[in-house]
Amino acid sequence: MQRFILALKCFLAILSDRAVAARAAALIGEEAPPQTTPVTPSPQTSARTTPAAAAAAPARSDALTLLSVLQREARLVDFLKEDIGGYEDAQIGAAVRDVHRDAAAALDRLFALKHVMDEPEGSDVALATQNDAARIKLVGNLGAQAPSRGRLQHGGWQATKVELPQFTGNADAARIVAPAEVEV
Amino acid sequence: MKSKTQFAVGIDLGTTNSVIAYTAIGAEGAALEPPEVLPIPQLVAPSTVEPRDALPSFLYLATDAERSAAVFDVPGAKKGRDYAVGQFAQKQPADVPTRSVAGAKSWLAYSRVDRRSPILPWNAPADVPKVSPVEASRRYLEQIVAAWNAANPKAPLKDQHVVLTVPASFDAAARDLTREAALAAGLPEDFVLLEEPQAALYAWLADQGDQWRKQLKVGDTLLVCDVGGGTTDFTLIGVAEEDGQLTLRRIAVGNHTLVGGDNMDLALAHHATTAFAAKGVNLNPWQSVALWHSCRNAKEALLAEGGAKKHPVSVLGRGSKLVGGTVSVDLEQKAVRDLLLDGFFPVCALTDKPARRSASGFREIGLPYESDAAITRHLAAFLTANATEGSGGARPTHILFNGGVFKSEPLRTRLLDVMSGWFDKQGGPAVLSGNADLDFAVARGAAYYGAAKTGRGVRIRGGAARAYYVGIETAGLAIPGAPRPLRALCVVPFGMEEGSQADVPGDEIGLVVGEPATFRFFSSATRKQDRPGDVVDRWTDEELTETDSMEANLPTAENAQDGYVPVRFQSKLTELGVFELWCISQAADQRWKLEFSVRGDAETD
Repeated sequence: MQRFILALKCFLAILSDRAVAARAAALIGEEAPPQTTPVTPSPQTSARTTPAAAAAAPARSDALTLLSVLQREARLVDFLKEDIGGYEDAQIGAAVRDVHRDAAAALDRLFALKHVMDEPEGSDVALATQNDAARIKLVGNLGAQAPSRGRLQHGGWQATKVELPQFTGNADAARIVAPAEVEV
Repeated sequence: MKSKTQFAVGIDLGTTNSVIAYTAIGAEGAALEPPEVLPIPQLVAPSTVEPRDALPSFLYLATDAERSAAVFDVPGAKKGRDYAVGQFAQKQPADVPTRSVAGAKSWLAYSRVDRRSPILPWNAPADVPKVSPVEASRRYLEQIVAAWNAANPKAPLKDQHVVLTVPASFDAAARDLTREAALAAGLPEDFVLLEEPQAALYAWLADQGDQWRKQLKVGDTLLVCDVGGGTTDFTLIGVAEEDGQLTLRRIAVGNHTLVGGDNMDLALAHHATTAFAAKGVNLNPWQSVALWHSCRNAKEALLAEGGAKKHPVSVLGRGSKLVGGTVSVDLEQKAVRDLLLDGFFPVCALTDKPARRSASGFREIGLPYESDAAITRHLAAFLTANATEGSGGARPTHILFNGGVFKSEPLRTRLLDVMSGWFDKQGGPAVLSGNADLDFAVARGAAYYGAAKTGRGVRIRGGAARAYYVGIETAGLAIPGAPRPLRALCVVPFGMEEGSQADVPGDEIGLVVGEPATFRFFSSATRKQDRPGDVVDRWTDEELTETDSMEANLPTAENAQDGYVPVRFQSKLTELGVFELWCISQAADQRWKLEFSVRGDAETD
């Protein structure tokens, strides 16, 4: 039954969306029908033939932009991708201190993170009758009655601003988190 | 004031960081809002633009490949930019040193080179493009202007009341060049120049409101001690009373001193490099720059009183082997405190003078970095030079710290300790606290001043920070092989008010017509007694400093006598803080303006 519904959805999607049609064709090994706007544009064409479209939508996802900030300023990707199994703790500590400092500075600048609840962790806090589940997660013995107090286990985090850099490059460069470096 | 003016805007064109701040001018009689900083969108990586509160004053000159890839394009600017300024450019010296320009502002004030010719990056190879110090400054300012105009499309900068700050120690020629760069970058014609230490004090006044009158009283003397990334600037401001109102008057400014926080970071990095070498680790140039960065961050922890005895400093591995390639060394707190506190703020006497450069016949041209990095000795010399009668040196009753260096509490404490030793029982100065962020005070203060000029808020009376002199060759027997003796004719007295002019009395001077007339030009921050027309026969190097010469091109006039026109000088200081010198013909109704000839000719004496 589920597969039937999926097939139906696909049928409608392929009919209404040329891009889905192209992907479906590729999936079942058929030649995609000729099209004017490619779904996954090759970098060369996207930069030259559709500058207006490139300007309208950023060529890179914000997630990659954030990742490249953390790599550029704090070497976070280098650190996470390295096999640290063989190193002494002291050696790891020496590197982490710098990565930690610079990554924290970047997060502060871009998101100005602060606690959702400012009370010290471990203290008793009052709860609103209508709990906002996104802001406060209740744990423990939850009865039918909404609790009026609780003990703060974790202050939570929220961004007080979102100021990611704006990527102005082309699709070619969009997936580059950090360029290779060659000394000449 | 222009009718479309809505904001007073302050721009701090710094040696290492530039900042723009603003405040709404609002209705007559309305209270001034504390000025706010406007973030400046800038390249932080190729094809990546992010607004930052400060624009690092660095310039990177792109290769042809980078230009055609358009990776340095920024929104609002022309496509295919062949340079980058700001955050990204600041990091480039580590990777591509020969295409990176730093310290353009210090070059602006250096009269031994032509600051309109492409000389930067200094000592770069011939196949690298170069720019002039004026052009580099223009590019920084252009980015700032673009940031303002993008954020305020309905109130473009050219319609606003703009104040640009310069070091108090900048002489007339350096101010002129700064003005030239600013106008080319799109600042309005009527923008005003303001001295940085005064701007810092305005920021304090802005944050104090009317409370300042309770903290200062008549007869107080205030020292603004401004130690930025690359320069140190001292200013003395006196508190007086006029018509029952407290007024502030700038009394003296120090000489241009090229020592600052960057020197401290560099000294610490050098110390750490030695510690690495002792462990058998030799750092390459890339690692050295990374080390500089680490040392800057470690400085606070290492200087703190009662902090850990040792603090690790690391340089991360360069390749993707980050942990494996990391080298680290423990720096001892005592050694670091000795290095920075005793190196830059040594205990000294009020009578001490900075050590002078040892005289040598040959000196490589390049920025004249101080041979003595001891800021306390420079301060002692400044206070001694401005001593009132019967005292060993001017005694500030209050001090205002400015510049990123003084974010460090131990450095502030050390300076205060040293100063309190200078004045026996009277004690050292009291600290005026309240400038919340020392990095932004100058720009915020400049914006406040812009608004204060419209009639609200307190103003510091200043006038010319230096006296200026024209060099006149004495007539008399020429001695073969020796230059004719030179005398200096005072044309601008110390403290000459903005918006005033002075006719220089004395003998007429014959100017040759049909060819450029060039005058050697001198300034003095210490000769406060000279009036226009006074002639100085001999002077020491400390008293009078030669700056760029001035010249006028006189067309052949029909009433020239034997090819000469008899002239007298007239000097002028405009409301905008611009200095002008005119030759007034005594034979006809004609006058000519003298312009600075900034061609580095001071070297040829």
